[in-house]
Amino acid sequence: MKSNSALLIVGHGSTVNPDSSTPTFAHADEIVRQGVFNEVHCVFWKEEPSLRQALHLIDSDEIYVVPNFISEGYFTRTVIPRELELTGPITHRLGRTIKYCDPAGSHQRMTDLLLRRAAEVAPGVPPSETTLFIVGHGTNLNDNSAVAAKREVQLIAERGLYAEVLNAYMEEEPLISKWDELASQKNVVVVPFFISDGLHSYQDIPVLLGIESEITAAASQRGIFRNNPYRLRGKTLYYASSIGTEPLFANVILDQVAAFDQLHREDAE
Amino acid sequence: MGQIVIQQSAPGFELRHFEDAGRNDLALYSNPVEARAISTYSDAGEFRPLKTAPTLRHGWRLQLPDLESLRTALDFFYPAMLGSLLSHERNELLPVDLRETLGRQSGMYAVTKKITDPQADALIETVCNSAHGCLKTILWQIAPDRPVTSLPAEKFNPAVSQIPAALPVLPMLCAEACNLLVAAAREVVKKVPVAE
Ligand code: SF4
Repeated sequence: MKSNSALLIVGHGSTVNPDSSTPTFAHADEIVRQGVFNEVHCVFWKEEPSLRQALHLIDSDEIYVVPNFISEGYFTRTVIPRELELTGPITHRLGRTIKYCDPAGSHQRMTDLLLRRAAEVAPGVPPSETTLFIVGHGTNLNDNSAVAAKREVQLIAERGLYAEVLNAYMEEEPLISKWDELASQKNVVVVPFFISDGLHSYQDIPVLLGIESEITAAASQRGIFRNNPYRLRGKTLYYASSIGTEPLFANVILDQVAAFDQLHREDAE
Repeated sequence: MGQIVIQQSAPGFELRHFEDAGRNDLALYSNPVEARAISTYSDAGEFRPLKTAPTLRHGWRLQLPDLESLRTALDFFYPAMLGSLLSHERNELLPVDLRETLGRQSGMYAVTKKITDPQADALIETVCNSAHGCLKTILWQIAPDRPVTSLPAEKFNPAVSQIPAALPVLPMLCAEACNLLVAAAREVVKKVPVAE
């Protein structure tokens, strides 16, 4: 219990797509429901409330900050610390203590979450006859999400559940558009390694997979995930929504708070 | 506050759009979290990333039992505005001039430093004006010795309402240029549409 502390979840947000912040708010609602913190707030880079407004939102003197990002990168290392004026993992400012946790997506529990999502989207399909793709963006220079996605693929492969576990990217080799050539199995499960659903998961990846023939209006959206499985290119394809929309992601955010406390316990003593 | 009228209604409060004052055909809500859904889209169905834009949807009323739920709802309608006002009253809301905000930017926004003062003035008029842009009262200047000259004095006076209605106001304070203005500054400097 952290009944004297606030949790601040930091999302990227978007000026054009409300679905970008939806999972961040959903995870916050779930954590509020669990009653762990005195207050739970979300702030965003591109939406309101903004990072700069964060401290005016919060009454508590102890604040845990968890970036709702898929990996370490430009935002977690540069933008968030700068905008919140952090000096390190623990910042003392105006009588408050701000504890800066690792991004949600870098927690070790992510591997379980990916496996869970893959199993959910293809119920009854034996993993031993399935190729699992974890799809990342692939060109963000300052972003380590591709590295993180690779690490997850390795960890999943080590568990030996799936016949095959592969990385693929939207704009970089190995390209997800060649999924049918890359996959050796007749069943294929695709999980986007993104924090929210948006144009990439509604439009770009479906087009690359061949589910959609062209970029359709953003309105068709969630239908994409309801029409599984797709029988395409001689295989059976199951397409999942982004890993960050998984409801259990809220617990990963809490896990990052616990991990922070564990790591910094000695400092406090 | 903003386009919302807050009325005492035993045992708590009722909120609605100020232009819906006399209507009795409003959809009734009672959970403060509904404020998030109500404020996501405008009447025209457009997404509202800037919650203080003068485009709050009509046709609803929100009944809340106590102060705590009122604060929760207001933080969804107008994020951080109540807290900013309280900070302001404690002299803890420190305005940051535009030059300082732009000077801090990195990555794709680093170029915004190159905007000239007259360009900034024109941009602020377009993005921040209370009629179509944003209902906040601006507390910052372009630089310590360079005020914003393109908007009327009322835009900088917390005592004046930013909506055309004679109601007592809880001002919504802008202590620092928002990301929308910074992104628009990039567009001016690069003369290209803002990429998402
Ligand atoms: S800079 Fe301030 S006044 Fe201008 S649009 Fe952004 S929040 Fe509103």
